[in-house]
Amino acid sequence: MKIRHSNSEGEKIVPQMAPMIDVVFQLLIFFMLTLKIVEPEGDFNINMPLTAPSQDPSQDVPLYDIKVKLRANPDGSLAQLSIGGNNLGNGPAAFQRLNDEVLKLVGGGAGVPMIDDMEVEIDADYNLNFQYAISAVSACTGRLNESGDIDRYVEKIKFAQPRRPSGM
Amino acid sequence: MRIRGPEPALAEVDMTPMIDIVFQLIAFFMVISNFEQTKADERVKLAKDALAQPSEVKIEHELALNIGFNRDREGNKIDPDPYVFFAGESIPIPQFGPKFDQEARLYDRTGVDPEDVTVVFRADQDVPTGMVQELMRMAQEVRVGDKPGFSKFIFKARQSTDGN
Repeated sequence: MKIRHSNSEGEKIVPQMAPMIDVVFQLLIFFMLTLKIVEPEGDFNINMPLTAPSQDPSQDVPLYDIKVKLRANPDGSLAQLSIGGNNLGNGPAAFQRLNDEVLKLVGGGAGVPMIDDMEVEIDADYNLNFQYAISAVSACTGRLNESGDIDRYVEKIKFAQPRRPSGM
Repeated sequence: MRIRGPEPALAEVDMTPMIDIVFQLIAFFMVISNFEQTKADERVKLAKDALAQPSEVKIEHELALNIGFNRDREGNKIDPDPYVFFAGESIPIPQFGPKFDQEARLYDRTGVDPEDVTVVFRADQDVPTGMVQELMRMAQEVRVGDKPGFSKFIFKARQSTDGN
């Protein structure tokens, strides 16, 4: 039998692109569909011990204690924000004022020797919406400077004992 | 003189630029896709804050708690009581204590001291602050043998760039 040799001379090998393109498009569609845009989340890098009720008040009393009180309306909105008995009102401007007051107390920011001893105690009403507690924590923690970095004020933040109202 | 006519040419499309672009797109989507198992819950609407910065160091052991409300598709609350959405269950906040016990024992059994575990609170902006504090108290009161309970807590917030 005569075997015919194919004439391979001058034959151009064309790679099969179609399957590769199929797979590549599949991959592309997969990644496009699985894409989920997640809003960036952050946290407050602070320690938040809750005051233990049995704790002896003479122990671990910080040298400089700032007391921030948040009073709530029945619907959970902020009624009054105060720092050390000084009323700061309510609304976003109140948190700005709190931020200014804390800055005054810490005396210009990091590098002040006593800043490490300072502690903020947040005493919030039980039914206060959590967003106000976050705003208060944020206002005590520091502020963003022009370059977008955080100037830190107080890093030790604690909460007062929750006072559960009767009927809840 | 005999002029040779053009040979029938095979129309070939140059695929190279298209493949370049498609690979670029694939690489882009691969890089921005987040396959990390996120502990977020869609029902929780976090408070917004400009100072909420992502952690610079990775938290080694974290116990994430999503605290929020059951909402309908429009985001309105169906139920006025907040729940902890944990491991596929909706648990009312006052009844969450046993779960902390269970988690603490689980960490202890795997050789992790509950004190080294950070409890991450992803609390909805409308949750009463007192309830979040009660959860913190429950976490602190957990005892595994003579070891103290959880003591590291962080609050999560949405990062906002508008300065509010």
